[in-house]
Amino acid sequence: MEMLTLASVGKNFGGLTALSDISFSVNEGEILGLIGPNGAGKTTLFHVITSVLRPTRGEILFSGERITGLRAHLIARKGIGRTFQNIRLFDRMTVLENVMVGRHGKSRTGTWGAVFRTRSEREEERRIREKARELLRFVGLSGEEGMPAGKLPYGRKRRLEVARALAGEPRLLLLDEPVAGMNDAETREIHELILSIRGLGITVVLIEHDMSLVMRVCDRLVVLNFGQKIAEGTPGEIREDPVVIEAYLGREEEDGGA
Amino acid sequence: MSLSWINPYYLLVSSFLLINVLLGVSIYITLSTGQLSLGNAGFMSIGAYTTAILTTRHGIPMPAGIAAGTLLAAITGILVGIPALRLKGVYLAIATLGFGEVVRVLFVNWEKLTGGAVGIAAIPQMGRRILSIFRDTGFSPEDWGLRSNQFISLTVFFLLLAVTVLVILFFLRLGSGRVGRAYSAIRMDEPAAEASGINTTYYKVLAFTQGAALSGFAGALFAHVTSYISPADFTYHRAVEILVFAIFGGSEHLLGPVFGAMFLTAVPELLRPVSGYRNILYGIVLILVIIFRPQGWIDPPLIRRLRGGRTPESR
Repeated sequence: MEMLTLASVGKNFGGLTALSDISFSVNEGEILGLIGPNGAGKTTLFHVITSVLRPTRGEILFSGERITGLRAHLIARKGIGRTFQNIRLFDRMTVLENVMVGRHGKSRTGTWGAVFRTRSEREEERRIREKARELLRFVGLSGEEGMPAGKLPYGRKRRLEVARALAGEPRLLLLDEPVAGMNDAETREIHELILSIRGLGITVVLIEHDMSLVMRVCDRLVVLNFGQKIAEGTPGEIREDPVVIEAYLGREEEDGGA
Repeated sequence: MSLSWINPYYLLVSSFLLINVLLGVSIYITLSTGQLSLGNAGFMSIGAYTTAILTTRHGIPMPAGIAAGTLLAAITGILVGIPALRLKGVYLAIATLGFGEVVRVLFVNWEKLTGGAVGIAAIPQMGRRILSIFRDTGFSPEDWGLRSNQFISLTVFFLLLAVTVLVILFFLRLGSGRVGRAYSAIRMDEPAAEASGINTTYYKVLAFTQGAALSGFAGALFAHVTSYISPADFTYHRAVEILVFAIFGGSEHLLGPVFGAMFLTAVPELLRPVSGYRNILYGIVLILVIIFRPQGWIDPPLIRRLRGGRTPESR
């Protein structure tokens, strides 16, 4: 079943075409890799899906429902969670509070409930905290609840961002380069984390440059280059695709001349 | 026992100090979503003029006048807050400062309603009003060994103290729950807050409106403490003074501007003996704080140390 469908999505910045005529679908339960050389438009595509940017053309459907241009917080509430390429945590909040913020869309207390500490407010806060702790255990950050998020080491910041995104109970999770800058051991841990996220029944779209991770984790790949989709298929197919090889390695001249 | 040591002058200064604390909290509320509003003097004047006109000219009871002033300031806050959302940082500051000036000029020129530059005098004074209620029930302050003016300034002070404590508790509690988390999230990283499902537009307008309402409330109380207001009370000097409470005291925790307002109201009084130098000293103190503690006196790590390392979530 199609969870996310992009139909002829395009994005221009003035005269610059960042994305043109992108169409593909993400199936429920799969891990889809979005790959391509730097500047191919991968992050722009995430921004367009989550309404950080408005598409210039095209339609985006989530579970069959049109979400094009919907306000970003509503897209999050519909069930699309995301992380950011350059990690965007609330640095001066604690680790636990960061995840509790992620629970915002799943809770409802307003000004008066908070001020009068009503029974339902206290109950809700307890549930938010419980859920946040559970997610911190899930991503392996249990011991660091009280630490300011800004003080976490780099790799743990990435995990915390995942926990915050999971707090909104997304059905689709967009991960923007989750292992960028990590060593092999850390990469393997994130690899396992992504698989266990899928185990929760969450569909994952992954932007990644680490080809070994992409090839091992992803069910299917979509390849972008210069804002266009140049290939789509299983990792095996993509590996053999001459267009993809050319995009990554350049064309081999027949006569051997430079 | 003689109570003659109770000094109405110092009580009056303390009452103004409490009103300044309310104003300090009001600028903090909008700042806690990352919006710098300098319109709080304007909202304050709306609160003050509303209740002054209603109680003085139309005989509306004081509590109703104060409620009306707060409400009108809040409504104005919504109306200004929505378009102001398109502005950020220094542009928002300038726009809101402009709003304050527009309100002031309006009050200067709408003479029929506001008395123009002369202002409104003989506004019912809350201490006097309470005294007359007490006298009607047969009580007189002399029974307690208090002069009338001592009684008046004491009741005003304790009334404002109770109100101020309640307001601080209100916003401390708000800050520690779901709404407060949304405010800080917006302040720290707006796109990440949106991606976490927070309706940033709603919360920014909410915070702006709460700040406006509180400024209006403080203005209404001010009118019933001084019993005389004029546009000169609400110039941009007032707006900057409120901003300085937050800069000096710290804008990352609610108690920052509370401390800033208290300190900066008290210091000029304490420096009265060296009155020739006091503005110089005031300026030096400000410069020193900005150099050595740019985040202001009070910041969250300091609060955590004062609470003995207790983390906010262990409540």
